[in-house]
Amino acid sequence: MTKFLNNKWTPWVLLALALGFPFVAGALEAQYLVRVGGVIGLFMLLGLGLNFTLGYAGLFDLGFIAFYAVGAYTTAIAMRSGIPAPVALVLSVLVCLLVRGLLGLTILRLRGDYLAVVTMGFGEIARLTINNLDALTNGPKGIQVAPWRPLNFLVADPNAQYYLMIVAAVAVGALASRRIEDSRVGRAWVAIREDEIAARLSGIPVRQYKLLAFTLSAAFAGVAGGLFALWEQFVTPESFIFWESILVVSIVVLGGMGSIAGVLVGALVLVGFPPIMQWKLSAEWINYRYLFFGLILVLVTLFRPQGILPSSRREAELTS
Amino acid sequence: MLIQQLVNGLTLGAIYSLIALGYTLVYGILTMINFAHSEVLMLGSFMALGLAVLLPSAFGTGAMGLVGMFVLAMTGAGLINVIIERLAYRPLRHISRLAPLISAIGVSIILQNGVFIWVSTQSLRFPEPVAITQVEVLGATISSLQLVILVSALLLMALLHFFVEHTKLGKAMRACSDDIQTAGLMGINADYIIALTFFVGGALGGAAGVLYGMNYGSIKYNLGFLPGAKAFTAAVLGGIGNIRGAVLGGFILGFLEVLASGYIPNGAQWRDVIAFTVLMIVLLVRPSGLLGEKIAEKV
Amino acid sequence: MTFRRALVLAAVVLAAACGPKEKTVRIAVAVPLTGDMGTEGQGLRRAVELAVEEANAAKRFPYKLEAAPYDDRADPKEAVNVANLVVSDPRVVAVVGHYNSGCATPAAKVYARAPIAMVSPAATNPEVTAQQNSKDWMGPRMVFRVVPTDDVQGSYAATFALKKLGKKRMTILHDKSPYGQGLAEEFKKAFLAGGGKIVSEDGVSVGDKDFKALLTKIRNDPAKPEGVYFGGLYTEAGLLLKQMRELGMKPPFDFISGDGSMTFGLFDVAGDSADGAYLSIVGVPADELPSAKKFVEAYKARFPNDERKPFDHFGYEAANIIMAAIERAGGPDREKVIAELKKTKHEGVLGTTVFDDKGDTTSKIVTMTRAASKKRAFDSVR
Repeated sequence: MTKFLNNKWTPWVLLALALGFPFVAGALEAQYLVRVGGVIGLFMLLGLGLNFTLGYAGLFDLGFIAFYAVGAYTTAIAMRSGIPAPVALVLSVLVCLLVRGLLGLTILRLRGDYLAVVTMGFGEIARLTINNLDALTNGPKGIQVAPWRPLNFLVADPNAQYYLMIVAAVAVGALASRRIEDSRVGRAWVAIREDEIAARLSGIPVRQYKLLAFTLSAAFAGVAGGLFALWEQFVTPESFIFWESILVVSIVVLGGMGSIAGVLVGALVLVGFPPIMQWKLSAEWINYRYLFFGLILVLVTLFRPQGILPSSRREAELTS
Repeated sequence: MLIQQLVNGLTLGAIYSLIALGYTLVYGILTMINFAHSEVLMLGSFMALGLAVLLPSAFGTGAMGLVGMFVLAMTGAGLINVIIERLAYRPLRHISRLAPLISAIGVSIILQNGVFIWVSTQSLRFPEPVAITQVEVLGATISSLQLVILVSALLLMALLHFFVEHTKLGKAMRACSDDIQTAGLMGINADYIIALTFFVGGALGGAAGVLYGMNYGSIKYNLGFLPGAKAFTAAVLGGIGNIRGAVLGGFILGFLEVLASGYIPNGAQWRDVIAFTVLMIVLLVRPSGLLGEKIAEKV
Repeated sequence: MTFRRALVLAAVVLAAACGPKEKTVRIAVAVPLTGDMGTEGQGLRRAVELAVEEANAAKRFPYKLEAAPYDDRADPKEAVNVANLVVSDPRVVAVVGHYNSGCATPAAKVYARAPIAMVSPAATNPEVTAQQNSKDWMGPRMVFRVVPTDDVQGSYAATFALKKLGKKRMTILHDKSPYGQGLAEEFKKAFLAGGGKIVSEDGVSVGDKDFKALLTKIRNDPAKPEGVYFGGLYTEAGLLLKQMRELGMKPPFDFISGDGSMTFGLFDVAGDSADGAYLSIVGVPADELPSAKKFVEAYKARFPNDERKPFDHFGYEAANIIMAAIERAGGPDREKVIAELKKTKHEGVLGTTVFDDKGDTTSKIVTMTRAASKKRAFDSVR
């Protein structure tokens, strides 16, 4: 198992398998899994994003879904104004970075759970504002988004198209995370997480580095939100409730904080489990879907408290 | 109108305070957000309802019913909280700070869905142990219900204060809250004190559940989540881990909500936005809450 | 090692929970079966199951019909998941769902690609059906709706308040949901057009419990409103009524609302505070229509422990309309069923249902009722 995980070709093999899947899904009678795989991919992106804040910088954020919402609504509103989809996606990322940066500038002096509650508050403020600002967001009625199918030349099924784009985005996001993790910046984050005072005394500009991690997170949420809006062709405030923020935190913690592979596996388990149960459970058991989900959450945490695939660096920190 | 709104704010604040105490007691000792506390509150109100339904002659109405509901809901909710701690948090205590949070989220989902599946999928009518009469005081209409809620909440807070400040067990709790390792070296059985804290916190949650049911007249499987999240916010506002802070935060949140929906035009739909904005501002000025002590910690 | 054992255990539990699959024809019920809206979704599920069981008992079809429940959790992304699952199951011939407009709108786009008919029993946002006429619509027209859009009820209630109750100044509350806000906006439009005055307007959130501050503001409003119109569902309506009475706001300060509040659940939340509340309902009340009366009794007999939820009769009607279309189509063929649904002229619990060219019901009959908690009944007001 460890040998397989540590092999440098493993990620590429997995990526190739993931990219090939929609082309054989029809033969396997598993088109449903293409849709589910795409949704899992969106949450992999969100998890990779939150991993910067929670995993690398150790900042507890309970309102991350707000930036998914900002990304989705930016794309939806831009498309409504006739801006082409690729530009709308870029706009989503920029707006998310800007809002996240400004938020970080104001609240990052808070610590631990105080930060968690303020971010939770921001998440609710964002959702309620979207729901109440009818003039801009059409309030609870939501916004329709024009269809965008850039991969028509490759495959006709829109689910497959978005699946492929999302898998590609996850691959780029994971690769970027790995590069940053191993860079000077990544090492500075470790130093801050291990001992903030020591890091400061060693000349690391702690505030700036924390702000950087906090802000970078939003780029991932922006891409995920934009793709979500384009795929569903509809956005509504109901998609961005507090529960979704909790889900993303659970993905990162359950997968393994600071571990890229862990986050990906966390999303696979937590986001994949309910739709698979939807598929496999019979009518009498369908009401138990989320009861089982809660059980999985507790059991996995009890048996793998460090996460399913903890980062080796992080594990060393915690045991030392 | 002002007096009326003050009364409204007091009742709301009293319920928030009681719930906030449950969060803050546990946090004080383990620095852990007990995410399942909202479900403990929900279970408390369901147990009280169960008592009234099973033994309507003795516990349906009147003072006897009121006391019976409180005793059952508080003991039951306290015990449930202790069991949750034993099964889902204790094995994770020394491993990581966020693992218990995730397991708490899981427990919360299990409890809520369990009640949904096995008890009822719909709103259930909650009995009225006191006849509702209205009293006019200075132009404000105060119902007997509001009085009962206020008096019982304040009584419970006074009891808690006495317990924590003037009993030996309370002293041990405070010692553990200050420094659990040193307290252990002084011969305090930390496991026991932690269980006790969970019991007291859960009991307060159960009591809040009864008050909640009485105040709103009906209960449902998902009733815990919103007041739970708000009360947790209140606890943080007051300074998480601080008992007086939780009470203060609860009442401030109650008044804030009343002010927002009662005085600001179109304020009802912006109520939570206003409350959270105030929370952010307060925390930016006082990063450890109103009464909290300075903390240094890492995730 | 222990971790692996736990996984094996979980797999065994799941395997036990997965039932065998029979060859049958299915009508999908795609509603929230868990989560905050689970209460309403479970009601719809029961209603559709009842309709299907009745058809099977009467041997209306040469094969066994089945109501297949799907849980969208009132979450749009799960609703689209469900839609993809439904279209990939060849046994499913049509869909009753979804409950929320936010779920029905994106899910309909998936059903359109199949195509498979979707008949919504509860989603009232005009966009749910209107999107079919947009240039971006990919697929045939296959969305139908048995629940009327908000304009019908809202304007009826406004006329009722003006003419029958003689109100001149009203205040408006709604729950900031597409349903509640839509109702309130239509009430406002018609009330202003009829010469009335809207004193104030406020939005609350679904799940809010404490409205006393807001109600105190309304009670002490110097503009002296004569009543409140509420757009929303029975939980909030019941709490509003209860807290209004506690603050001494009793008739002639009237409470008027729509069919989302007209359910027995209102009595569970509000108790005798519900007395005197005016609630409009689309169609004729069940007691005055023989077919509806039969539904009410059958529901009670089949589910003695569960009370009807506000949209259950729409779910029952949707299932019956679909079954009638299957019958006329001569078999469970998705596309033929869509074609037959367009020709629907159904006599049922809602009176006569005919779909217009958008797929909306043309029924415009609204009845006003008054709540009476002792009898747990809603008496119609003439």
